[in-house]
Amino acid sequence: MADPILTIEGLEVAVDGKPILTGVDLAIPQGEVHALMGPNGSGKSTLAYALAGHPRYDITGGSVTFNGADLLDMEADERAQAGFFLAMQYPVEVPGVSVLNFLRTALNAVRGEEISPRAFMKLFQEKSKLLEFDASFSDRYLNEGFSGGEKKRHEILQMAMLEPKFAVLDETDSGLDVDALKVVSNGVNSLRGPDLGALIITHYTRILKYITPDVVHVMYDGRVVRTGGPELADELEANGYAEYGSAEPAAVSGA
Amino acid sequence: MADAAPAWAAEARATATANLETLPELTGQEEAWRFTPPASLGLGGAEPSGGAATAAVAAAEGGTRSARLALVDGAPAAPELGELPAGVIVAELGQALIDHEDLVRSRLYSLIGFADRPGALNAAHWEGGTFVYVPKGVELAIPTETLLTATGATGRVNARTLIIVEEGAKATVIDRFVSPDLAGPVAVSTAAELIVMPGGELEHLSLVQWGHGVRHHARITASAHKDAKVRSVVVTLGGDVVRVEATMVASGPGSDSRALGLYFADGDQHFEHRIVSRHEAPQAYSNLLYKGALKDTAHTVFFGNLVVPPGAPGTDAYQTNRNLVLNEGARADTIPFLEIETAEVKCSHAGAVGRVDDDHLFYLRSRGVPEDVAKRLIVVGFLQEVLEHVKLEELRHELEAAVAEKLA
Repeated sequence: MADPILTIEGLEVAVDGKPILTGVDLAIPQGEVHALMGPNGSGKSTLAYALAGHPRYDITGGSVTFNGADLLDMEADERAQAGFFLAMQYPVEVPGVSVLNFLRTALNAVRGEEISPRAFMKLFQEKSKLLEFDASFSDRYLNEGFSGGEKKRHEILQMAMLEPKFAVLDETDSGLDVDALKVVSNGVNSLRGPDLGALIITHYTRILKYITPDVVHVMYDGRVVRTGGPELADELEANGYAEYGSAEPAAVSGA
Repeated sequence: MADAAPAWAAEARATATANLETLPELTGQEEAWRFTPPASLGLGGAEPSGGAATAAVAAAEGGTRSARLALVDGAPAAPELGELPAGVIVAELGQALIDHEDLVRSRLYSLIGFADRPGALNAAHWEGGTFVYVPKGVELAIPTETLLTATGATGRVNARTLIIVEEGAKATVIDRFVSPDLAGPVAVSTAAELIVMPGGELEHLSLVQWGHGVRHHARITASAHKDAKVRSVVVTLGGDVVRVEATMVASGPGSDSRALGLYFADGDQHFEHRIVSRHEAPQAYSNLLYKGALKDTAHTVFFGNLVVPPGAPGTDAYQTNRNLVLNEGARADTIPFLEIETAEVKCSHAGAVGRVDDDHLFYLRSRGVPEDVAKRLIVVGFLQEVLEHVKLEELRHELEAAVAEKLA
């Protein structure tokens, strides 16, 4: 088994003084794709934001080792530069900052060197094609006027361009119709490989039909309560989260 | 120059000078002056005295101009003329009093007079200025630019601009204000009268880029006649104390007046923008949009007013002011105002002061963009809404760079 790209031990996180994560343990070997499932309010998105370094999430205990370094010791931008990526559930709109300007600035920051305008445009066009991202959006302002599906494609496009070592996909399937879900999943699958580990956070099993996980974890009440193979997703699909005291289903009706 | 000026011009100057003697000093107690003490602009208080001149400012190269005029310390000088379409006049205003009396006489002081103290001060003392005349139906496609500089040799610098765009004509005119950092206080007074006749179009840009030591009181008044389009863009970046009063007058129905502004104050700069849209005719459109960023201990004031007197039904008027405060200690005041005395109008106003959104900052940083670069992107992005209205690309890039420099 490859060395873990990400090791989380006893992670505790509070938001506005309220404890949300109460001791998360998780290890993901490089190159593997893990799924993190759980009902609403179990702490999945909190884990995602805490790992990415959002200042509103207070780390109150535990440790996170990323590619051999202390992730929690880094600022959000340093985490990205170290190869960590978060595809957000709700990407924000940033007025006046164009998609191209943003992508170029981010790419230069992550690579630590200026990419030539020509090489940049080539990369942008290539990855836009992969994700069927409308390249005419390049002059638009960040996420402004994007549909839910366009925002998600744009998140994965960024991932494809920045080439992280590890990515967390937070509810990437929410708000996507089946066609868009297929495109995004194909994009993720094409990036998948020995140099990219991933954690797919999802409430529903739907996306896991397109991106097959190596390992499935179940989160409940701020910690990881069960870990298993892909068959665990099928079990949740059939039974929902009843076993964990939640009446929520894990299958989308009609999906 | 004054000796050769026609009698009516000499008379106007004499009246302005007399008004200065008789009008009471501004104290700062006046409602319109409560945010910016008049003395801080050199309007009253001790007379600013000049010192040693620093090296003159090199003229900005920038893009292609159809004419350039450089007024050092406000002294008159001959313009450098490129190829102008037939009938277009670009001249130094003092010279135009003599050479183009028929065009100037009825319009000079028609929008900015000398009945009040700041008006009288400018009218009594200006020597150099800009005169642009575009005859009926002619398009002056390439902009003209006047560079007013201060060297510190004189304590007072005055200048005036008069632009006349005749029926169906078009022009773009830039008034740029530049100096190096100066030791002594220099008080600058400028007045720009913009007259756009029926169906004419004018874009006027005021670029305030003074160094330290300069205080500037700027007045801009535009009159848009029937179906005319006027756009005033004000960019305030430099100067210790700057007060800009821009008034857009809808003089004819169907006119379209836009006042766009952006400012970025840092250090202990103090900027006040008083922007008024006055609808003297029915069925006219106006839109005021000013956006500002500020940091350190800077203070900015925006006062906006939509004035719709009786008899202007069908008025369609908007004003918006938004401010981005980058740190504790900087302060932005915004006062959007309405004076509406006509029914059946569509008017809206909004003023806001906010900080950099944590979620915007996090989003950019989560993609590897360092904090300082992310803030720069956000601030330039915030001002983009105004910058994107600057049609001249080379100028837009220059202004973006100037904003970014303040964030460095």
